[in-house]
Amino acid sequence: MSSDKEEQKQKAAKAAGAEKPAAKPAPTPKPAAPPAAKPPAAAAPPAKEPEPPAFEKGLAQELVSKFGDAVKIVYIKPVRIKVETAPSSIVEVATYLRDSMGFDHAESASGTDYLKENHIEVNYHLGSYTREDLLAHIMVLTTKANRDDPRLPSLVRVYPSVEYHERETFEMLGVYFEGHPRMERFLLPEDWADIPPLRKDFRIKGR
Amino acid sequence: MATLEEKIEETRRLGLQVVKETEEDRLMTLSIGPQHPGSGHFRFTVKVDGDYIVYCDPDPGYVHRGEEKMCEYRNVIQNIPHLERPVIHDSTNVTYSYSLAVEDLMGIQVPRRGQFIRAIASEMNRQVYTLYWLAIYGIFLGHSTMFMWPAGDRELFIDLLERLTGARVTHAYNIPGGVRNDMPEGFKQRCLDHINYFEKRLKEYEDIFYNMPLFRQRTEGVAVLSKEDAVKLGVTGSVLRASGVPYDIRKVEPYDVYNEIDFKVQYMKTGDSFARSYVPFLDMKESCHIMRQLLDKMPQSGEVRTKLQPNPKGPAGEAYRRVESGRGALGYHIVSDGTPKPYRVKISVGSFRNMLALPFLLVGNKLADMPAVYWSLNYWPVEADR
Amino acid sequence: MASYIESFRFGEFIGSVLWLVFWILIIFSLVGLPLLFIVLFYVPLPPLGDEPLTPYLFLTMIVDPTRTIPIIKYMIHTDLFRVAAFPGFTYAALFAAVTIFVERKFLAKMQLRYGPLYVGKIEGWLQLAADGLKLISKEIIVPAAADKPIFWAAPIAFVSVAAAAAALIPVAPGWVVADIDVGIIAVFAIFGFFPLIALLFSWASNSKYPFIGGLRALHQIIAFEIPFIISALSVVILAGTLNLTGIVESQIASYWFVFFLPISAFVFYLSSLAELERIPFDLPEAESEIVAGWITETSGMIYGLIQLGTYLKLYALAALFVVLFLGGWSGPIIFPQEIIPGYTGEKIYNPVTLSAIFWFTIKTFGVIMLMLLPRGISPRIRIDILLHTGWYKLIVLSFINMFVALALIYGGILGPEGLLVR
Repeated sequence: MSSDKEEQKQKAAKAAGAEKPAAKPAPTPKPAAPPAAKPPAAAAPPAKEPEPPAFEKGLAQELVSKFGDAVKIVYIKPVRIKVETAPSSIVEVATYLRDSMGFDHAESASGTDYLKENHIEVNYHLGSYTREDLLAHIMVLTTKANRDDPRLPSLVRVYPSVEYHERETFEMLGVYFEGHPRMERFLLPEDWADIPPLRKDFRIKGR
Repeated sequence: MATLEEKIEETRRLGLQVVKETEEDRLMTLSIGPQHPGSGHFRFTVKVDGDYIVYCDPDPGYVHRGEEKMCEYRNVIQNIPHLERPVIHDSTNVTYSYSLAVEDLMGIQVPRRGQFIRAIASEMNRQVYTLYWLAIYGIFLGHSTMFMWPAGDRELFIDLLERLTGARVTHAYNIPGGVRNDMPEGFKQRCLDHINYFEKRLKEYEDIFYNMPLFRQRTEGVAVLSKEDAVKLGVTGSVLRASGVPYDIRKVEPYDVYNEIDFKVQYMKTGDSFARSYVPFLDMKESCHIMRQLLDKMPQSGEVRTKLQPNPKGPAGEAYRRVESGRGALGYHIVSDGTPKPYRVKISVGSFRNMLALPFLLVGNKLADMPAVYWSLNYWPVEADR
Repeated sequence: MASYIESFRFGEFIGSVLWLVFWILIIFSLVGLPLLFIVLFYVPLPPLGDEPLTPYLFLTMIVDPTRTIPIIKYMIHTDLFRVAAFPGFTYAALFAAVTIFVERKFLAKMQLRYGPLYVGKIEGWLQLAADGLKLISKEIIVPAAADKPIFWAAPIAFVSVAAAAAALIPVAPGWVVADIDVGIIAVFAIFGFFPLIALLFSWASNSKYPFIGGLRALHQIIAFEIPFIISALSVVILAGTLNLTGIVESQIASYWFVFFLPISAFVFYLSSLAELERIPFDLPEAESEIVAGWITETSGMIYGLIQLGTYLKLYALAALFVVLFLGGWSGPIIFPQEIIPGYTGEKIYNPVTLSAIFWFTIKTFGVIMLMLLPRGISPRIRIDILLHTGWYKLIVLSFINMFVALALIYGGILGPEGLLVR
């Protein structure tokens, strides 16, 4: 199934919060300071703002002060915050986000396969319908799973809305969500017998 | 009068075998789709006990095309035509949020006139989609006139979009940096004429379809989705607004010029099938209002598009942008690694999110309510499969 | 907006008609006439009535057409003609065909579209023929697990039962296939077969959706049978007879019963819609819920036969409405007493019968249009609302006018020697 390129990586699922701090070459998708952060409806030329907006920063600070090292702020842009956490603490963080911070539903759950780093990043896009000041905000809760044996705890108990999204991520990227009631085929044909198609080592024929 | 137990005892004495009827025996499994006239390219299995649905399991994927994988092999411009295939009736909105996300990534600024034209095109296309949806809702309820009228009036906006973009349904009009071409001569007047006529027709729709007692009997009080459940299930678009959450991306996270437009978010509080079918209608009314304002405030001349590099690429990073499409929030999560091709594109579509409400709402309703509930969810099977 | 206007030239139309006539004449004189002569001179013919059919008679007919009149008269008074042609099957089937055409155009106009447009040059009037040919040429698919004898027999039974119902309708004085004393009871007895056929067919197709559809048909028709019969019962009370011809004659003697029994007429109309499985009561064929209901497994001419049966049934019910409430063939005589002045030979032309047929046809057509109307303006009703309407509302409504009918009889206003009886 998987094309196991680098065998030396072990099951790091339960390892620790701060994963893979160094040694990341070119295609790093999460730069520390996002270059193009344009406010969504501004008519002015794109001002590259090094200083993140205060409200978003406050939200991020709240998370950091609550969980300390378990969460890592990846970026803060206007109305978008990305927070990375370890698989072991994701349920806890998500529960806190839902109960205390008002992020009451998940818009989507998606995965990105990083072949070189040998991990799969799973993003939950959380939003709020009930808290007035959070309506526009998207909290991207992200976590990483080892490519060789991708297993993550499911968030379906916290956010019922991720049920189908997690099923889709399971079949498209092969991430097994523990605790999900139905980890089965969803979109792909029943007789699909290849590796999960959204992994980077799956090539479209003829390309 | 012998009781059932006595009868069973009697049968046993005669040496016959007794097989008791279980709950499972009463159920009949029906496969709604993919070739059922009331399903679209989609299948869901229901189990009925008499006339009541007791179990429902959606099974999408009949039109899955791997759009997300295809995106990884093409550059950002080449991606536009194939990305609109999942919802060709709403193609401008589909490419709208894609363009917004790419502009975010690359730091492109859209000229003001381009922003207005984009918004007008997307409003028109939302009308086209909603009319088509309404037409199918009519045929699902067995109302053939309700099928024909909206399907015919769709031509009004298709005609306008054809003049604007050159294609009837698949426009590929929004591109990162603006729109492909400027408005043709005399477009504004024609637009206003069509909107005036369409508003008259909307009044007729309300009188003939929505105030029809039989239509109300079929839909009112059927499959109520409460506000709490709607939030919990994370539904979006008209389904969410019908349950009493006034959430519209155009209002809460205004993109391009929507923060200059004065409009109300249309919502209802009942959360039944009627509300879910009526909110898109209210949206159409409001959309006419929005289009008028957009045409009014639009700058009369100017650039419509920022010229890009031939093979544009931006710095590495990621962006998540949403627009309000005909089926609710439509978001693109684009991860870029600095090459012209996106590293990963995730399309978060309203249909896929609303599908979660289908088993939730269908169970406990009658089989005869199935089409009224299913299509009121504003579900487009092709979009959900991507 | 885009629109399509077909260019129509009257001259071309006339030309095409003349071209057709020319070819018909050519074929008749080259093939028809020789064939006719061969038949006349070499095949012995049976006697017709009291007159022996000889080649001599036939040949004189060509020069003196009035000599055919006794033969035609004899022919149209045979039972075969009545069953097969005029008040019977052909008349009803012609009605059905016209109804289908009118329904398509009428519905199309209501929905701002054209309807059939191309086949047959003028407004697509031959579309039905094209559809019929298509249905005949299509393969009939029988499900492998179907109960084959019943599967094949049910559509035929459907058409024959519909035709049987049409056979009981009096079209003009004396023009009825079966004039029986218990006419109205016979009609209801025949209509009682339809749910049975639907259920049998749905069971025989051995499939889930037809089964649900068959059960729905059974529920629906039984729920509406009772108001259907009770609403007709008040007519019987007023007329004092069960014979349909008698009912019409008693209306000619007084006034149309729709003026005395409007509620019954309304209940009868609604129940006939339910009986016909037409929108808003087309639950047994609700395509978005149960594919096509009990006719899901039909294909080709099996489907065609069921459609034909449905429209025959529509004709029978509309005609029954006319007979019961709208005074049947009553109406002024609009045709002149004689066509050729001074003609004294044997006559076939009868202005009384002709205007009776005319009025009956006009009225029946009006009722059919009324029955077609709901299809354009109404969605499908749900089964529980339908059953509730049938059992709770319509039965009560139909009883109201029964009391009105009884009051009219006992008050001496109608009935034997009533005030309003002319």
